[in-house]
Amino acid sequence: MPSVDVVVVGAGLSGLAAALAAADSGARVQVLAKGHAGTHWGSGGLDIAGPSAEALPGTFTSRDGLKSLAAVPGHPYALLSGDVERALDWIRSILAGQGLAYQGDLDTPLQMAPTSIGGTRPVAILPIAQSAAARPWASGERLVVCGIAGFKDFWPDAIATSLSRPRVWAGVRGPDRVDAVTVELPGLSARRNLSALELARRFDDKAWRAVAVDRIASALEAAGVKAGSGRVALPAILGLDDHAAVFDEFRRRLPLEAFELPLVSPSVPGIRLYNALRTSLIRAGGRVRIGEVVDHVDRKGGRVTAVATEAAARTSTVRTGALILATGGIAGGGIVADNSGHLEEMVLGLDVEAPEVSKWLSPDAFDPAGHPLEAAGIRTGRDLRPLDSSGKPVFENVKVVGSMLAGQRYLRERCRDGVAIASGWRAGRVLTAVAATPGGRESGSVKR
Amino acid sequence: MSESQAFDVLVVGGGATGAGVLRDLSRRGLRSLLVERGDFGTGTTGRYHGLLHSGGRYAMKDSNAARECIAENRVLRRIAPASIEDTGGYFVATPDDPDDYVEQFPAACAKAGIECEEIPVAQGLRREPALNPKIRRVFRLPDGSVEPWNLIDANLADARAHGSEAWSYHRVVAFEKAGERIVAATVRDERSGATTKISVRFVVSAAGAWAGQIAALAGVQLEMRPGKGVMLIYNQRMTDTVVNRCHKSSDGDIMVPVHTVAILGTTDVRVADPDVYEVSLEEVAALIAEGEKLFPGLGKMRLLRTYAGVRPLYQPPADVQASDNRSVSRAHTIVDHGDRDGVDNYVSIVGGKLTTFRLMAEDTVNAVCAKLGVTEPCTTADAILPGQVPGKTYWLGHRLAEHEAEGGGDAALICECEFVTRPMLNAFLDEHWPCSIDDVRRGTRLGMGPCQGGYCTFRAAGLVAERGARAQSHPAADAPVVTEQADEAIVSYLRERFKGTRPIAAGRQLQELWMVLGMYHGPLGVESLIDRAPASQATKEVLDAQR
Repeated sequence: MPSVDVVVVGAGLSGLAAALAAADSGARVQVLAKGHAGTHWGSGGLDIAGPSAEALPGTFTSRDGLKSLAAVPGHPYALLSGDVERALDWIRSILAGQGLAYQGDLDTPLQMAPTSIGGTRPVAILPIAQSAAARPWASGERLVVCGIAGFKDFWPDAIATSLSRPRVWAGVRGPDRVDAVTVELPGLSARRNLSALELARRFDDKAWRAVAVDRIASALEAAGVKAGSGRVALPAILGLDDHAAVFDEFRRRLPLEAFELPLVSPSVPGIRLYNALRTSLIRAGGRVRIGEVVDHVDRKGGRVTAVATEAAARTSTVRTGALILATGGIAGGGIVADNSGHLEEMVLGLDVEAPEVSKWLSPDAFDPAGHPLEAAGIRTGRDLRPLDSSGKPVFENVKVVGSMLAGQRYLRERCRDGVAIASGWRAGRVLTAVAATPGGRESGSVKR
Repeated sequence: MSESQAFDVLVVGGGATGAGVLRDLSRRGLRSLLVERGDFGTGTTGRYHGLLHSGGRYAMKDSNAARECIAENRVLRRIAPASIEDTGGYFVATPDDPDDYVEQFPAACAKAGIECEEIPVAQGLRREPALNPKIRRVFRLPDGSVEPWNLIDANLADARAHGSEAWSYHRVVAFEKAGERIVAATVRDERSGATTKISVRFVVSAAGAWAGQIAALAGVQLEMRPGKGVMLIYNQRMTDTVVNRCHKSSDGDIMVPVHTVAILGTTDVRVADPDVYEVSLEEVAALIAEGEKLFPGLGKMRLLRTYAGVRPLYQPPADVQASDNRSVSRAHTIVDHGDRDGVDNYVSIVGGKLTTFRLMAEDTVNAVCAKLGVTEPCTTADAILPGQVPGKTYWLGHRLAEHEAEGGGDAALICECEFVTRPMLNAFLDEHWPCSIDDVRRGTRLGMGPCQGGYCTFRAAGLVAERGARAQSHPAADAPVVTEQADEAIVSYLRERFKGTRPIAAGRQLQELWMVLGMYHGPLGVESLIDRAPASQATKEVLDAQR
């Protein structure tokens, strides 16, 4: 029966951040996750806070958004806002160390970046390959949307038509004109069901990539796109493992500055983010097991002592000094609703704070006010320990992070990544301290 | 008034009944026009559970209806096999069902001429292992399931081949009378707003639950009693056989496997307006609780969505009842507005059920022909519908099989859940242009699987935009014109799908909804499209009223 200082359940951004923070401070860390998480359906960017409804685009910063969300009673930022900047700097340095650099910070004004269904979204902190989208559009600039023939998750004509209309740019200046180009890539004509991942892996192949980038450059030239003022938007498939080199080649070879548009899941930029964090964690001595469903948790006197996961014919048990719950809320399956309107927290059976069932969802899928159920989650204290309905901490050595935290409505607030990073960072550091106190240790010894 | 055309008969309503009436009229030499305010099959026909009745459901209480069902069941298997899946049906006695009903059931079926064979419980459970192991008896009957949109298409195709026309998205807005006759109708194109005057010799209202509204346009009062039925769609076929409770018909007592899903039906609640009704959380919970008696564990199975339809129920006044012996059964009624209301060339066909739509049409057209002095006999029960291979019923695996037959390999899938490929979509668009993505859904099942359009809607919209762009760059080509902006289509389609998910949002389907909303609000920036295409004022009012 292996033993560790911290078990993290969940391998999304918050879980990996927590595990990294714990490993950084010397703890032995085991990540157990049912599957991949929000990284794989996110944009790969780091959303800290979106603009408020009245905000003027181009002037509002993530720091402004953070401040206004921290003032919302019960919002996770009310507990975490002081840690966001440090945690963000910390995780960005880890990512940069893996060759995945980001641009923008809390003081960068949010800009409207185009999306792969022809809309726009407010952005500030983006991976380098998307960052050109965050620069304001100057007079005379054009946008060319370049798609790949046969690829079903990126439709340049529809995107270009939609982005040509000024209103989609939400009051800020967009490009002067938007055109669509579709390119046939080598060796793909027989492939009828191209996925983003498959294309990204092809681009990792140096020889294939040389021909493909050449084709794209020629297609742009044939469409009359010349060097000058403008940018080219491509689907986010520009390499997976060798992404930096792929993107560099695009930058050198295309007549206009290139950038990636994130797509529906599986998100290649999100997988790059996941891979970079996972690799760093393993280098720091952490362990990650995906495909593990928690069967039960052993507890003793207000403490979690072991986590058991389903295995072939029995359960596999990890003894632990602490537990970090990063199971992703409703979207991640960490909280499950039944047909009678009961919400269950799946690992520990914690109390879930939620509106009453008749008010869960607005009649309009895209209600500007969002759905009340978005705010459902686990209520915690400042130290991120879960509280019961009377406000008392339930476990001494359990922390709750990321989208499990009650009080956020990340669909509209765009705070998902900021909450994940700040809560993960805080939980990982603080828990290590708890696990290391003599009374708080029941098995093994903490290194250092 | 921009245009004027003349037809023998105007048929109002593009459900199965209207399509059947149009077909029958056409085959008897009456050149007719059918108008439907939306797409074909968007009223009750497209919103029922998909059961092809054996008649077993009616055997105990209404022998006449049962006899009609089994006769039409046999006719439809012959003339429209492509629309029918031969699932067979079980009537099972659960521990909750009273013995006297079960005891009398086989004899009642025999009396109505329905094949009803009792099989050992163990045999029933072997074929359908998800069934409640405590069931006490199992009867096998020839139930099946019907694909309604395909059935309507085939009927309309036959009518068109016989010289008639069918217009979707056309609404009757006025009738013009001369003395005791309707001489013309004004119909409005719901997309362009243009109106056309249709001169007619006769009018048939096959508007079902909406027949009262059409009658009002003719200055006639016809009180319908629309009955709402709620259905739940499960993500899997926990049964390949239609399963009925062997008891007096009530809520939540039938499961029908249709295509890739299974549908639990249903309830019966009177509603005032056939266009305004909701599905409540309580109705969903009550249905599941009843359904558990047939399939234990149903509450844990993944629901895709819920929907409701309105039965076109009609309670004839006592005097009419006496003169029409059909109306003593809960079958269909032909209301002759000549005798009743002094409008000589106008009938309404009300009541009935999808299984007997052809018979309803035959009876209706008989009445029309008698009035118009047409003596041609009805041939709709014998002539096989277009696009059918005799004896070849629908098979769930057909899309994959056809793909394999064409060489297999990876398919250009646009909708993974329902195996809809790019060539299939292109073929549909070629034939049905201009159309909305919702029309594409009915035609191809796009977006009807677990993601409820999250992944395929923007792809279909993208394909439409690609065709539009191609048309612009090759103006000479006979290509369609984009009528629906791709981004607006995405928003409105996902909104519509959400309505059906909302009352059942739990478990996996809630998680899926959260993931799809996460993508659309996150990387895809859906807000920017919504703010640009605000809901129409009417939609807004409905939404506000529901809050």
